[in-house]
Amino acid sequence: MSELLDRLRYPLTYLILALVCTLTMASARTPRELGLGPRLVLRLTLPLERMVTFPVGVVRGFWHEYVALVDLRRTNQRLREELARLGEQNLQYREAIVKSERFRRLADFHAQEDVPMRPANVVAQDLSPWFRSVVLDQGGAAGILPGMAVITDEGLVGVVSGTTPRAAKVLLVTDPQSRVDAYVQRTRARGTVHGRARPTCAFEYLRRDEDVREGDVLLTSGRGALYPKGVQIGRITGVDRRPYGLFQAARLEPVVDFGTLEEVFVILERRDVPTAEEFRTGELVAEERE
Amino acid sequence: MKSRAKLLGTAVALLLAQQLTNLITPEWARPDLVLAFALALGLQARASEALVLAFVAGYAVDALSAAPLGLHALLRGTACFATRFAERALYLRAPLPWAIYAGAYVVVDALLVVGILEAFTAQGAPGLGGVALHAPGAAVATALAAAPLYVWMERAAETGDEGSWPSLARPGRL
Repeated sequence: MSELLDRLRYPLTYLILALVCTLTMASARTPRELGLGPRLVLRLTLPLERMVTFPVGVVRGFWHEYVALVDLRRTNQRLREELARLGEQNLQYREAIVKSERFRRLADFHAQEDVPMRPANVVAQDLSPWFRSVVLDQGGAAGILPGMAVITDEGLVGVVSGTTPRAAKVLLVTDPQSRVDAYVQRTRARGTVHGRARPTCAFEYLRRDEDVREGDVLLTSGRGALYPKGVQIGRITGVDRRPYGLFQAARLEPVVDFGTLEEVFVILERRDVPTAEEFRTGELVAEERE
Repeated sequence: MKSRAKLLGTAVALLLAQQLTNLITPEWARPDLVLAFALALGLQARASEALVLAFVAGYAVDALSAAPLGLHALLRGTACFATRFAERALYLRAPLPWAIYAGAYVVVDALLVVGILEAFTAQGAPGLGGVALHAPGAAVATALAAAPLYVWMERAAETGDEGSWPSLARPGRL
């Protein structure tokens, strides 16, 4: 009997642990506070990860600020030409801004409140090759909660998927689990940006008759309760028009360079979405009537 | 005791090395060091302890990634478990066959990721396109990393105080 148990110990250990993992995986879906285990791992490894990422940042800075400047003269000439072109373009835009400002004031009955933001540094990247996330050095203690949007001065980064008091995990828009409701700035055509764990994302559920071209800028639509409206996501790099089906698809390149992401801003505002239960019981409707 | 500490130290060092590797290598050629470690654990004499450590290493990856909690724990545990059986059929106790096995397992692992995610979280699977893009480069990079890791673990086995954990598993009962 004991020999049999001894023989079965290895496969049984595997089966039990595999079952625990499967149950854990099946039960964890929505963004929330991280559990005890992940919090412990983050707390223990964060200082070590900082030790790893800091020298890389120093070397990168040295490279960008000294070594990479050998091409400066040519770049300078190109930038001068671009400046002249942009100066001319700027005049036209100013005229357009004066007009749109008037329309905007008429349309906006309420003055927009300043959105509170929290700057944070990226201290770690995703360890898995199949997912895209980063860890920030600010967490729940700084008012950061799961579900808050994360941006940079360039555009959208992603959404906070979990927090500890001193760290936050951010799901990037390039992650396969990420979906962002977006529209094309030029034509207002709407669709969904879907991460693919690659440098580019997919722009899906775009109606076949919509006009979308290479170079078009995509912005967040503000629908879906996670991201604010009007944040730049990326530029269209290719359109796939098929001879059949309801939708066309496009590829886009995010404006944010996730490979060199160092500093981000967390928007300290979270719009609560009603749960499926609230929809079912009609609590949402009742609250709106009140 | 010392040998267990060595194993744990190796696991932590590899997690940090993975972080560093992700920062300095292109996306299409990133080795999966934790997978290589989990595979190497499949050759350890203390089979059950090695299996638990493989699960724990995978769990740490889950905690530091956007993956659903438990995914990498399951995958790394499975890698260790599978190696234990594959070792009997294939001659894995030399750097070259070991590297080839590790490289091939990266592709299997990628397909398992897609399969498991499709089964449990249909929204978040990277898709076969993503696998085709990443797996070949990752397989080669992991194979290159797995060979020296194997040699290192074998040498560490020779200097182990108890002489059991790193000494390679002997054919016989599991």
